[in-house]
Order: sequence, then structure tokens, then C-alpha cells
Amino acid sequence: MPVYFLEIIVVTLGLLMLMVDAFAKIEDKRSIAWIGMVGLLVVFGLLFAVKWPESADGAFWQFYSANDQISLFYKGIAVITTIIVLIMAVDFRHIVVAQTADPEKGAHPQSGLGEFFALPVFACAGLMLMASANNLVSIFVSLETVTITFYILVTYLRRNVGSLEAGVKYLILGALSTGFLVYGFAWLFGITGSMQLAEIASSLADPEVNSAAALFAFALILVALAFKVGGAPFHFWIPDVYQGAPTPITAFLSVGSKAAGFIIFLRLIGPFLASDVLAEKICLVLAAIAGITLIMGNLAAMPQKNFKRLLAYSSVAHAGFLLMALASAPTKSAVGSLSPAMVVTFYLGAYLLMTLLVFLVVTTVRNSIAGEEIDSYKGLAKRSPFLAFMLIIAMASLAGIPLTAGFYGKLFVFKMAADQGNWTLLIIGLIGAASGFYYYLKIAVPVFFATSSDDGSGEEISSIPVSAPARVAMIILTVAIIAVGVNPNLIITLFS
Amino acid sequence: MTFFFFIFAALTLMGGIGVVVNRNPVSSAFSMIISFLGLAALFIQLDAYLVGILQILVYAGAIMVLFLFIIMLLDIPKAEKKRFPVFTLGASIVVVVSFATLMITVITRSDIGSAKLPPIEPVKGTGSSDVHQIGELLFSTYWFPIQVVAVLLLVSTVGVVVLSKRELK
Repeated sequence: MPVYFLEIIVVTLGLLMLMVDAFAKIEDKRSIAWIGMVGLLVVFGLLFAVKWPESADGAFWQFYSANDQISLFYKGIAVITTIIVLIMAVDFRHIVVAQTADPEKGAHPQSGLGEFFALPVFACAGLMLMASANNLVSIFVSLETVTITFYILVTYLRRNVGSLEAGVKYLILGALSTGFLVYGFAWLFGITGSMQLAEIASSLADPEVNSAAALFAFALILVALAFKVGGAPFHFWIPDVYQGAPTPITAFLSVGSKAAGFIIFLRLIGPFLASDVLAEKICLVLAAIAGITLIMGNLAAMPQKNFKRLLAYSSVAHAGFLLMALASAPTKSAVGSLSPAMVVTFYLGAYLLMTLLVFLVVTTVRNSIAGEEIDSYKGLAKRSPFLAFMLIIAMASLAGIPLTAGFYGKLFVFKMAADQGNWTLLIIGLIGAASGFYYYLKIAVPVFFATSSDDGSGEEISSIPVSAPARVAMIILTVAIIAVGVNPNLIITLFS
Repeated sequence: MTFFFFIFAALTLMGGIGVVVNRNPVSSAFSMIISFLGLAALFIQLDAYLVGILQILVYAGAIMVLFLFIIMLLDIPKAEKKRFPVFTLGASIVVVVSFATLMITVITRSDIGSAKLPPIEPVKGTGSSDVHQIGELLFSTYWFPIQVVAVLLLVSTVGVVVLSKRELK
């Protein structure tokens, strides 16, 4: 099956969901989400049946890379993330309805849910396209498709001030960063005269290249991409937006949007690194940004009291580790047979498993407990030993404890920095990882060692119901985290 | 020609500054129209007639009229005059000055004008006007990005309806 069928199927699936929502008289809007999940599972299966074209002639292949194994892995990340986001969205539906519609004014009891389930599918199509984009034009249009969908989804809880504030902040800062990106593209086009990444690479590899202008273009693009992946000092939007957005969308932002941001990052710095004149300076800038991101993310995460905010800073910290791997790219060093791009890809694969697991737990707990403060997780182990166990596995993996997927991710990154002799960055990374042990595992204290009746209110300890799809997804993710922690080749074989 | 370039560039910039500085939303909207007119003139100077005309028809015409309608319908009060925070002012001056220095350095260090851009080849087929050429390009070479933009527009339409409808039924 030709590779572009994947995106066509996903867009058609999204249209189908909108149509069903609009025209079919269904009582239970959850069935729209089921359609989406089943369709995306089929697409995930089709990822293994892709046939690459024999020749890359024709207008289409100027925008879409032919024969590119690693892009399939990123498409897989997008599809899995969307499936799990839909599972979370189904569990989250009561909150969505309560904060979008007013039943006293005659709103349908499930109003607004159909679009809430359909929009992530369109974002998924955009993310999949981003993975294959090989031209400045297609990078831009796919990125905008994804970002505009996210603006809507972040603002979705329109009766909730937090969600609206998050949406406006994300919209204004996102538009600004897009401006930087387009300005950078304009300079890049001015220097090289091409929109095609392969042609840009060959123009930049010329030793006579206009290096001042090329570095300026790189700086502008870097500002925009650092914003998208949450690199410091462009990460200030992340805590507010992650906290205000509906929880399933926070998960989508922190996994899908980050993975897609990094593949664009990899594709766009590739041409710059191909030039001997530019590579060294770019490596320095990336190392500086990686260092600042590690410090800001990890230190700011420590005092957080709100769990979603903690996860937001954690996502900044992980962006720091990923940038650290990118900063080691120019040396052409490799861990075993892994190139820097592969280390980034592996890390993102591991990050997907553990972050989605945390957010599944957060969404499920949110249905029974009103708050998202860390304190409201008091006594979770008594109320639901299953959820507590899942939460601890995910947190251990995020911290990077051996025998979890997160451990190998960090190990590869550190190994690469050490091979390159980048000691300052390595030390910052180690300090960051060490502080991660503190802030990730401190959640264990309220979960295991306090009960919710400790505060004397004497409220009854009730168990927390876990929906069947969420339970299945959690078990699969946990098994995957531990399996990858034992044998990292499970992920590596998927993209090499 | 450079003389006109500077005039219209200055007009565009002054319009842009006017949008930010004016406290009255209607004056801001009118400054934006001035900025768009300057921009349209710059496009026309570059022989991009269609883009220039679209800039006036679509942006300065349709979109700004819509803006003005909304401003008048909502009856937005004049923004209160706030004391300018010293920190914000200082930070923005630092950013502007450093960015300007950076740009001047880059432009003087490199001869931007000598870069060879790909010649714009006439598109095959009938007609030689701008409209024909852009239209043919959009639906031949660039058909794929156009399709993606179509999805983008669909998503934004759905989003606007969901977010702004008075009451969901």
C-alpha cells in the first residue's frame, strides 16, 4: 500500500466522525470515539504494510519524503498517541460537557463531544504528515494544521477560565513563534534558492556559503522550534497551557506535539550540520539551549504542587535531554550503531510510553477526585492499588530507574555526550536526572504513606473506577515500559 | 524605484506602530489598513500584481471591514491608559536594539543581493497573466499543500463553530 494512503485514511476517518456526529441520530456520542479508535488501530496495522514508491518523480514527492523508514516510526507515535488520547477523552467526557454547555439553556446532555473526539484525529493526520515532510512548504502547512487544531482543543472548555487563558496564551505565543519560523524560512530560501530540504543541504554544504546569513536563518528557525518542543528560554507557555488545557489534550500536546517538533528539528538541522563551516557553531548554540533547558525544567519542577504543572516542567526537562542528544549530533558519534537521530527517536518512543501512562492515571483519578494537586492523591494506594502501581511505574520510568524504558533513553543520551567530550553538558544532565529522582518520586509519599482521611474530615474511602479501555491501555503501556527497560532493541528494531 | 520602496516601507511600519500605540480600537483597525496598503504597494513594486491586489481586496477590504463591524458591534471601550511598566519597556528596548544590531551585522557581512534565486519560469498553457500563472502553479506543482490547507480550513471552521456558538444543542 502506498505510504500516503495512511494520511488519506486518517483524514477520511476524521470526516466520517464529523459526519456521524452531524447526521446520524445517535444517543451516545461515545460511539464516535469508538469509530476513531478502531479506525486508528487499523491505520496502525497498515503502518507495517507500507510499500515505498520505486521512483520519486512527480509533484507530490517534492513535498513528501519517499523511502524514509524513520518517518514511519513517528507516524506510529502519532497514531498511538491519538488512540490513547481518545480513550482519555471518553473518560473525560463529563468534565467536557460540564464546562462547555449549559443544560439549563436547552443544551444536549452530550453536546460538543463529537467535535472533541473528531479534532484529535485531524491533528493526528497533521502529525503524520509532519513526519514525512521534506520541503519547507509542507513542513509549514502540516505544522499549522496541527497547531491550529491544538489552539481549538486547548480552549475547548469554554466555560472554564483556566482553559480560556491557556488558549489565548498558546494562540498569541504560537503565532509569534510561527512568525519567526516563516522569517527563518524566507532567509533560508534567500540563501539557497530552494524549498527542498535535500537541495538546501547541498547549497549549504558549499564551503563558500554565506555563513552569516545562514546562521541568522538558523537562529530564527531555532527560536520557533525551541518554542514548539519547549526548549528554554522559550518554554514559559508550557506550564500555564498544560495546566489549563483539558487533561487528554495536555497528554496530546506533551507527546504528539513534542515528537513531531523533534522530527522537524532533526530534518531542519540536518542541512546545517552537513556544512563544515556551520556545524561547530550550531552545536555550540544547541548545547547552550540544552543546558539552560535542563536547568530550568528540572529546578522549576521541584517545588510544584499541582500535578499537571509538575508534568509540564517534566516535559521541559525531557526536551532538555533530547536537545542534549541533538547537540552531540555534529561529531557523528554513535552509541553502538545508533546515530544521534536514532537516540532522539528512541528517547521519544520511551517518553511516549511513560507520559501517556501518567496521563491515563491522571485522567482516571480526575473523575473521582476533584483536584489535580499532588495532595489530592493522598491515599491513592488504598483507594486503587492498581492505579497507584501504574503511577509509580510511570514515575520511575520518567525518573530513569533501571529496568524501565526511561533508563535506556537517558543512558544513550549521556553516553553520546560523554563520547563527544561534552563534560559541562553531561554534568548538568546528571544533576537534572538526579533532581528528577526527587520530584518524580515524591508523589509516592502521598500515594502510599497517607490516607485521605488523615486530614480528619473522615470521608469515606471509596475505590476509584477504571474504565475497561483505560485499564487495557495502562497494562499494555506498563508491560511495554518494562519490556523495553529489559531489552531496548524492541524499540530500536522498529526504526532501523 | 528605491525611493518609492522607502516611502511604502515607512508607511507599512508606521501603520504597524499605529496599531500598537493607539488606545482606541477603531484607530488601531484603521492603522492596520494603512499598513496593509503600504504592503500591497511593496508587492506591486515587485511585479506581484495579483498578490498586491489580493492584499487590498481581501485584507484591507474584507477582513478589516469585518474587524470594524465586530469592534462596533461589541462596543469595546477605549483601553484604559495604564502606566507603562518600566521592566516591560526596558526589556522590549533591549530586544529591539539587539535584534536590529544582529540584522545590520548580518546584512553588512553578507551580500544578500547577489544570491541567485531560481528564475520564475512561465507556466505552460494558455494565458500569461499573473492569475493564470499562480493558479496553474497552485493546482499543479503545489496541489498537495493546497489539499492540506483545505483540511486546515475545515478544522478551523469546526473550531470556530464549537467555540463561539451561543449554546450547543
